[in-house]
Amino acid sequence: MLAWVVYDISDNTCRKHVSDACKNYGLYRVQKSVFLGELNSNERDSLAIECEEEIDEDVDSVYIFPMDDQSFKKVKLLGQAFDKDLVSDEVLTTFF
Amino acid sequence: MQIVINSYGSYLKKSKNCFLVKNDDKKFEVAAGKVESIMITTAATISTDAIKFAVENNIDIIFLDHFGDPYGRVWHSKLGSTVLIRRRQLEYSDNAKGARMAKGWVNEKINNQVDFLKDLKKNRPELKEDLQEYVDDIENLKSQLQEVKGDLEEVRGTIMGIEGMASRNYFEAISLIMPDKWQFSGRSRNPAVDGFNCLLNYGYGVLYSMVEKACIISGLDPYVGFLHTDNYNKKSLVFDLIELYRIHADRTVVNLFSKRKVNDEMFDSIPNGLTLNEEGKAVLLQVFNETMEKKISYNGRNIKLKNTMQYDCHKIANSLIK
Repeated sequence: MLAWVVYDISDNTCRKHVSDACKNYGLYRVQKSVFLGELNSNERDSLAIECEEEIDEDVDSVYIFPMDDQSFKKVKLLGQAFDKDLVSDEVLTTFF
Repeated sequence: MQIVINSYGSYLKKSKNCFLVKNDDKKFEVAAGKVESIMITTAATISTDAIKFAVENNIDIIFLDHFGDPYGRVWHSKLGSTVLIRRRQLEYSDNAKGARMAKGWVNEKINNQVDFLKDLKKNRPELKEDLQEYVDDIENLKSQLQEVKGDLEEVRGTIMGIEGMASRNYFEAISLIMPDKWQFSGRSRNPAVDGFNCLLNYGYGVLYSMVEKACIISGLDPYVGFLHTDNYNKKSLVFDLIELYRIHADRTVVNLFSKRKVNDEMFDSIPNGLTLNEEGKAVLLQVFNETMEKKISYNGRNIKLKNTMQYDCHKIANSLIK
C-alpha cells in the first residue's frame, strides 16, 4: 500500500538519517520533508521502528500515513507535481 | 523496475542503499529493492561499488550491443543448483528423450505462430483467405513434425528444416499485414535491412538475455543445447529455449506497427542496413516490458509472462533429474 512519510525534525544529522532510511525503503522524495511510495505492512513497521530510534521524541515528529489506491487516484496536485506513476510503482522501465 | 541506460556518458554508482544514475542534466536515485535489472545499451560509466551492490541484491546488469544482443552480464560467480542437472543435461542432449523434448519446444513455437496468425486474421477480414492459406501450410508442417522419430543426431536436420519452413511462411504472412511502407522480405540481421527486422532483432536480443538468466538460475547449462549443436561460445540451449518465447517479441513489434507507433525517426541508417537508435530503443523496451508484465494462466495459476521462463526452466531441470 502507498504510504506517506511526513516529518519535522530539528537536528540535521538525525533528519538526514530519517531521510536516508526513507530512500532505502524505496520511497520517493516528493517534498523536502515528505516521502511517498509503496510499502507493505512489514516495511511500514520496520521503518517506523528505525525512525523512532533516531528522533528526539520530545521535539521531533514523524508521521507514516498509509493510503489506499482509491484515495490516491483522487489526489490533486498543484504547482510542481511529482510523478504519480513513479511513486505508485507503475513505471516498469526507466530510461537514462 | 528495469533501469535502461541508453544515453551516452551516463554514470551509475551506489549511494547509501540506492542506485544513483547521473548524466549531465539529470539525476535519478532509486532503492535497490525497486530495481529488477539494469540494462546498459550505450557507453556508460559504472562503479565497482554499484556492481557489487547489484550482485548482492540479485540484480543483474546486462550489456547490450548495437543490435540488442547481450554481449555480457554481471552476475554472481556461482553456478546455480546442483551439478547433477548438468550431467543429465549432457546425457539427454544426444538421446531419444532429448529429441522428444526438443521436438516439443519446436511444436510449441509453431503453435504460437499459428495462434498469432489466427488472432491477426480476426481483425483483418480483407486478408482472411490469404492468412488462412499460410496457416494451413504451417499446420501441414506441424503434422510432418509429429511424424519425426529417432535419436537427436538423426532427426536434428529434419526438425530444424521444418522449423525454418514454418518460420518462412509465418514471416511472409506477417509482412502481408504490415502497413505498405513497412513491408519486408524475410528476416535479416547484422544488420537488419528494414524497420521490422530492426525492432524484432532488438526484441530477440533482450529475450536472449532473459532466457539465459532463467537457465543459469535453474541450474541448466546455457551452452549445452539439444537441437542446436555445440560450438565455441555458442549458447545452444538458449537458442533452443528462446523459440518458446519469440512470440512475445513478435506480438509486441507487430502491435507497434499496427498501432502506427513506428516512425522513421526511430532508425539510423548504417552501411547496408538500419539500426534502432536511442528513441527507437526506448519505444520498444517500454512496450516490451509492458507485454512481459501481462498475466497469463499457467498451470492453473495467474503469473506474469516474464516469470514463465523461470518456471519452464525449473520444470525442465526437474524433469532431467527425476
